[in-house]
Amino acid sequence: MAEVGRVSIRLPSTIKQGDVIRVRTLVIHPMERVQRDKQGKIIPKNYHFVHSMAAALDGKEIMRAELTQGVSQNPGLTFPLKVDRPGKLTVTFFDTTGKAYMGQAEIRFS
Amino acid sequence: MKLMARAETFDERRLTRRLFIKLSVAAAAVVLVWENFFTGGRVFAQTNPPGWPLADEPVEATLKRLFGNRGFTSGEGRIKMELPAIAEDGGNVAITVDADFPVSGATRARHIYIISDKNRRPMLAKFSLSADSGRAAIATSIRLATSTDVRAVVEMNDGALYAVAKHVRVTISGCDLPPAG
Repeated sequence: MAEVGRVSIRLPSTIKQGDVIRVRTLVIHPMERVQRDKQGKIIPKNYHFVHSMAAALDGKEIMRAELTQGVSQNPGLTFPLKVDRPGKLTVTFFDTTGKAYMGQAEIRFS
Repeated sequence: MKLMARAETFDERRLTRRLFIKLSVAAAAVVLVWENFFTGGRVFAQTNPPGWPLADEPVEATLKRLFGNRGFTSGEGRIKMELPAIAEDGGNVAITVDADFPVSGATRARHIYIISDKNRRPMLAKFSLSADSGRAAIATSIRLATSTDVRAVVEMNDGALYAVAKHVRVTISGCDLPPAG
């Protein structure tokens, strides 16, 4: 999984001022599931999954999400954004190994 | 008779007083052990890395932990939750929650929770919105352990809770389940 941590952001092809757009984001991540031993007991270890996500427009936080192992592999999150002005959208995913995966997209009016 | 009764209560009172002392000593010991246990637990939780597995939780406990004793209002008609009725693969179930609540103003939607009743940890995801969201709508994909009710809960800034639920039949589990039996 050399690609782990790749973040993709998809925006609508046309954005007009004042629109509420759907931002589709996705991070390539295994979202490791809980493992159990033969007795069915959970193996205690630091599981590797994305535990939170934050999105910001020009540095101002616009939304935040808390994820668990109950979210699928390669988690995709879609969230709304009211666009009043163009700007740079930054989406960051944080995983349990302390890594942060960032993706950026430019919001322009067309 | 009256006198006897009084004597009896007097005796009883002395007994209870003695008992009270014993009980308070025992209670103090319990409190000490309890406190140790709790601070110990807290330190333990702090040193655990973030991916450490948390204890299994029934959905009632999850709701109580997240929302206390607040009651739910039916979000029927205001919250639209899209979810397949039958999920072939429990490991990847698409879910869309679109709530007809404002995200700015005096009463606004602040959080959207996705809760699966029969997962080991029912709280699957929590989304926190802001006025810049423009709309209380999210989508993601979740893992379901087995056929279960899935709830979407919208928490307002004043603490009011709106919820909808839908049953999903899961063919293949999306989680590692303990061995049956």
